[in-house]
Amino acid sequence: MDTLQALARGFAGALTLPHLGWALGGVTLGTAVGVLPGIGPALTVAVLLPVTFSLDPTSAFIMFGGIYYGAMYGGSTTSILINSPGETASVVTAIDGYEMARQGRGAAALTTAAIGSFVAGTLATIALTFFAPLVASVSLKFGPAEYFGLTIVAFTTVAALLGSSVLRGLLSLFLGLALGLIGIDQLTGDARFSFGVPQLLDGIDVMVLVIGLFAVGETLYQAWRHGRDDLQVITLHDFTGMSREEWRRSWKPWLRGALIGFPLGVLPCGGSVLPTFVSYLVEKRLSDHPERFGHGAIEGVAGPEAANNAAAAGVLVPLLTLGLPSSATAAVMLTAFQQYGLQPGPLLFSTRPDLVWTLIASLYIGNAMLLVLNLPLAGVWARVMLVPRPLLFGGILVLASVGAYSLNRSMVDLLLLYAVGAIGCAMRVHDVPLVPAVIGLILGPLSEQQGRRALAIAGGDPSVFVTRPICATLLVLAAAVLFGPRIFRLKAEATGISA
Amino acid sequence: MSRVSFRLKAEATGSHLSWGLCGLLACAVPTPADAQPPIQHLRIIAPAAPGGGWDQTARVMQQVLQRTNLVHTSSVENIPGAAGTIGLARFVTAERGNGDVLMASGLIMLGAIVTHRSPLTLHDVTPVARLTGEYEVLVVPAASPVRSLAELVRALQTQPEAVSWGGGSAGGTDQILAGLIADSVGVDPRRVNYIAFSGGGESMSAILGGQVTVGVNGLGEFAAQIEAGTVRVLGISSRERISGLDAPTLREQGIDVELENWRSVVAPPGVAGPDRQRLERTIDAMVRSRDWHDALARYRWNDRYLAGDGFARFVDAEEARVQGILRKLGTGRNPSVSLAGAGLYPMLVLLGLAVTAVATTAAAVRSIRPERADDRASRRARWSSIALVASGIVLDLLLVERAGFVLASTALFWCTARAFDTKHPVRDLAIGLMVSFAAYVVFARLLELPLPRGVLARWI
Repeated sequence: MDTLQALARGFAGALTLPHLGWALGGVTLGTAVGVLPGIGPALTVAVLLPVTFSLDPTSAFIMFGGIYYGAMYGGSTTSILINSPGETASVVTAIDGYEMARQGRGAAALTTAAIGSFVAGTLATIALTFFAPLVASVSLKFGPAEYFGLTIVAFTTVAALLGSSVLRGLLSLFLGLALGLIGIDQLTGDARFSFGVPQLLDGIDVMVLVIGLFAVGETLYQAWRHGRDDLQVITLHDFTGMSREEWRRSWKPWLRGALIGFPLGVLPCGGSVLPTFVSYLVEKRLSDHPERFGHGAIEGVAGPEAANNAAAAGVLVPLLTLGLPSSATAAVMLTAFQQYGLQPGPLLFSTRPDLVWTLIASLYIGNAMLLVLNLPLAGVWARVMLVPRPLLFGGILVLASVGAYSLNRSMVDLLLLYAVGAIGCAMRVHDVPLVPAVIGLILGPLSEQQGRRALAIAGGDPSVFVTRPICATLLVLAAAVLFGPRIFRLKAEATGISA
Repeated sequence: MSRVSFRLKAEATGSHLSWGLCGLLACAVPTPADAQPPIQHLRIIAPAAPGGGWDQTARVMQQVLQRTNLVHTSSVENIPGAAGTIGLARFVTAERGNGDVLMASGLIMLGAIVTHRSPLTLHDVTPVARLTGEYEVLVVPAASPVRSLAELVRALQTQPEAVSWGGGSAGGTDQILAGLIADSVGVDPRRVNYIAFSGGGESMSAILGGQVTVGVNGLGEFAAQIEAGTVRVLGISSRERISGLDAPTLREQGIDVELENWRSVVAPPGVAGPDRQRLERTIDAMVRSRDWHDALARYRWNDRYLAGDGFARFVDAEEARVQGILRKLGTGRNPSVSLAGAGLYPMLVLLGLAVTAVATTAAAVRSIRPERADDRASRRARWSSIALVASGIVLDLLLVERAGFVLASTALFWCTARAFDTKHPVRDLAIGLMVSFAAYVVFARLLELPLPRGVLARWI
């Protein structure tokens, strides 16, 4: 009851006209930032810090929360429309979302992404409201061994993303893993495979790989096809959003996405990217028509988009309850708290309840605003597909180059972007799926570091992975996901023969 | 009056178009007695991603300098990478002689220069001043079986590898402290089982969850936990006890180690005398302001202002100390834990890549079919399209830092559009220019992410 009263006071604080204005400004800016490739919410909040210094902390945090949630909404837009994810959390969305857009169902894909984000974002914010301290204390049970187990589970999601050929899918995965080797070895501080280029010491930025493979690769691939095919004309079926059938197919993935995204967001492991992969795998496994995935299945958009928004709320749990930033944006928001002389941590809820509860209330409000903002926009955005292709692809390359260059203001990144783009084009020509490479680059370093940390803590004893219950459970789960269906099928065949 | 002008300036931050306006306003504001005009626009480079210590230092400086009217406008640029050495390299080469730019630096950069074998060091920049210091703490969770520093030291002396130390990146302040402590109690620093975590959040969660025996971290990061009683401080790396903090120092417990994670600002090499003096005067006025001291209290930083030659001598001494301990640490290599080593995993990955690549190529070669005449015709068309886009890319790479972003992007846009369209070259050029200019305005002006201005520098 106390929580409800505190939340009600929070709403009273947030529902003033200036605060609503800051929330609206935040979500609008966040959506714009999400759409642009390369720049993410972390950088935007950092840039705004000096501007907000003259504001009271509540207004500033309402705006920052809005930017954070808004970026999660905006990231899917370019994924769906031009096969070029604006944020890493929207990479998976590109697979089926872009197919839907090519079939003229772009508005439906954008709508299911927006409503799914709203549903999951709201559910996760409710979970944040009532269970934050509990969830945070459970998350501390996760050590390097458990995170290693989690990355192994996440690796199994590749199975759902391999595309038409297992061999080519694995090639893509190993390419990503190999790119992930480049840079300083976190545990020893030694450089690996950086070939004496200082800009490679921090490894290849995931965003460079994503923008290169998808945006630049797509442009080159379309130029390659242009020589042979007549340009396919895309007809937009409608601008009104989803059909009754699509609603029926979307609501369960939304709820499952929330269920997957929130707890994974709480754990500092890959931010909001990992839950999207897991959600895609779950939807494909549970679907009656797994063959539709990769060819415009709406479940493949609804689930991951719900999951990344739920994860965004999850990230705030350790930040507010423990003062523990588990993503780049959370780290910047921690700085912002300190700027106002506040120290997020176990005592924040008791020392500044007004601020915390107003912030949480404003997250509900921001979510609702984003839905209102994005639903009518879906029809407008879908018309991007009608832009003449010479101009569309020219614009995509310009945005890709400015996005990659701005990450570190580095020519090396720009060079890498185009090199990766050429690889991406070759992969598309030879029907090699792109997403496993992204998974490899994100999960490879995480998995290696956590595994080696766990071994080092255990003094080199590999039994640590089976003697710690959570880790052992996760490894069994991974094995079940990989081999379960096959054993199931063998059993069914055996009984079929005997009968 | 001055209050109003501050608000206007804060909103105009980074907007070069508004400098004129700010200059006009500044005329109305009483100018300091100093004869030399204040710096118009001061850029502060944070050689790290947003959120870390250098980024915070740079942004606090930005706020204080603007609030106190010591500079008209100021902006922060992040150049992250390799614990500051990427930013250092760029600062030395690209900013040489510039009198209106500063970079945050500090102890961690000294460590990174050694660890990453950076060809450039802090001797290649112009020292300005040391600003702040932050002590390190050794902490354990409240429920930990380790009750005191004496117990920890005993465990360390019995079997060093059984004590795992959790902290920040390899070669950083946290590992340096772990090494110094081991060294002072007669344990080979090479045998310290130091577990490097990549970010503040990651190491803190491992320490709070009891995943490591002991945590080493900055006092600021753990202040809230100490206050709440969720962790116990075994020792703090300061000379004397800190008032208001119930924590014994390492020294009073018989470990003769002191360490402070200091942060400083430096100017580019080759800055002319008057410019250098102006930068030093600006920083000197900043550290005397009330706003600066308020900020120090907020972030729990110690005032460690030290300018000029004193600062240069201090850097030399610290450099020798850091190099010494890092050599003893052997940069974290732990021979007793072979499976956890760095070599096995990369070999497996490269093997997997080679096997799948060979298998895929073999499968592709088997499925090749004889080429037909119309295939050859379409191939020519394909390659001409690809060649157009590729030439756009090459032009972009060649031009972006010479002719500037807008012209390079226009070339990129135009060439790409040509690959898909043969009819409207002029339209494509005009739209390309518009798109490039719009992208420039959004990124460079609204988001303060500087893009090369090139030959159009006078107009944009």
